[in-house]
Amino acid sequence: MRSAAPDSSVGAASANPPPDPDAASAAPLRAVGLVRTFGAQRAVDGVSFTLESGRFLSLFGPNGAGKSTLLRLLSGALRPTAGELRLGPELLRTREPGWQHRIGVLSHQTFLYGHLTARENLRFFGDLYDLDDLEERIDAGLAAVDLVARGDDQVRTYSRGMRQRLALARTLLHDPDVVLLDEPFTGLDAHASAVLKGVLEALRDGRRTVVMVTHNLTEGLEMADIAAIQVRGRLAYWESAEGLEAAGFPGLYRETVEASA
Amino acid sequence: MTYLRQLRAVIRKDLLQELRTKQRLATMGGFAVLVGVLFNYSIDQAIVAAQDIASGLIWMTLVFAGVMGVGRTFELEAEDGAFQGVLLSPIPRDALYLGKVVSNFVLVYLVVLLVLAVFGVFFQLDYGNHPFMLLAVLAVGALGFVALATLFGAVSSGTALGETLLPILVFPLLVPMVVYGASGTSRLLAGRPIAEVEGNLRMLAAFALVALFAGAGLFRFVVED
Repeated sequence: MRSAAPDSSVGAASANPPPDPDAASAAPLRAVGLVRTFGAQRAVDGVSFTLESGRFLSLFGPNGAGKSTLLRLLSGALRPTAGELRLGPELLRTREPGWQHRIGVLSHQTFLYGHLTARENLRFFGDLYDLDDLEERIDAGLAAVDLVARGDDQVRTYSRGMRQRLALARTLLHDPDVVLLDEPFTGLDAHASAVLKGVLEALRDGRRTVVMVTHNLTEGLEMADIAAIQVRGRLAYWESAEGLEAAGFPGLYRETVEASA
Repeated sequence: MTYLRQLRAVIRKDLLQELRTKQRLATMGGFAVLVGVLFNYSIDQAIVAAQDIASGLIWMTLVFAGVMGVGRTFELEAEDGAFQGVLLSPIPRDALYLGKVVSNFVLVYLVVLLVLAVFGVFFQLDYGNHPFMLLAVLAVGALGFVALATLFGAVSSGTALGETLLPILVFPLLVPMVVYGASGTSRLLAGRPIAEVEGNLRMLAAFALVALFAGAGLFRFVVED
């Protein structure tokens, strides 16, 4: 373990404005001894951390480190084999509507239907979340990802980058305060990356907690309040990103991975 | 209201997808027409009265065509992980299940109407005695079938065997439905009084209700980790 205890409050106070203490969403997200196994394989192996509300966590790690599995545990897509998630002192029930309304997930897969148009996709997901002012949200979402002109085209006609931008609009449609991003920059062209980066920057408003899994050390570190490295299912590094230098981070990453492998 | 909105969204999305792709309707409809053509040439109607065997053929076609169509429901959902996105949303799993049952029922019942038209032409069947009762028997039977096939379609889609597992899982459970459905249809095609079919209809309705309640209750255990 390279760092101090995985606690986002360590040295992270100055990166963003503090979260609103009155909001229910202000409680920190805590993982306590999370384990997820697939057969004999321990994809997530005793992960514990406390992530203060409003922080942006970039989670790095080599392939097969269990980063996506950890993200799926946070989203509720998977149940932990052992351990638990808490919001402040409360046990977090990730399969209940309260949490499902609060999270937005952007994955490798876009979760979109190819034979529906962008608007139809967003309308469908908006109905599932029972959103008010849905048409206004759809217009705003499409505008944010620069897809207004193609909003009535079927998604199967989109490029990979356009699909990913639309997936981001779907992720944020219900205004989640916890955003989980799994390799959001993978396969994107320069324009799509720039749009995505702009939207992600806007998420750093101190109100939203963001967990981003990425292999891109530069972009990940640029946006992070906290940088973490997961290796073989365990959190091998967890530190405020404030004092980290971009130039030195690849070396630190390599050392951490090699020491933990 | 939220529940109804979510239910409606699933139905509308499924039907819109089918309207665009026509994958399942084309498969089921094509199969139904082929069965009609093949049986028309494989049965010597000078020896076997078509009306005597039509009921069984109609129900077998419904079941086989239906399995082909309903089995693909979750295959389409797997496209780019879309179903995972649905499962991360706050839609109650029973609303998701019921939405899929309704959209599958619409497609299967359209095929039922096609089967009646095709068999009517090839076997000169007379639906004139109790056409509405015949439609009702087939509708309730199709509902029971879809209720079971949708649940087991979700089960089979999560396995390595995929939709090929569906018939193995679902056919044994369909025996009571086919027995009461085919017998009721036979009587209607033979022009027997409606009173003779009411018992069959009640049994089909009971089967459909049990399948619906079981499906709505079990669906979340099938689709969630």
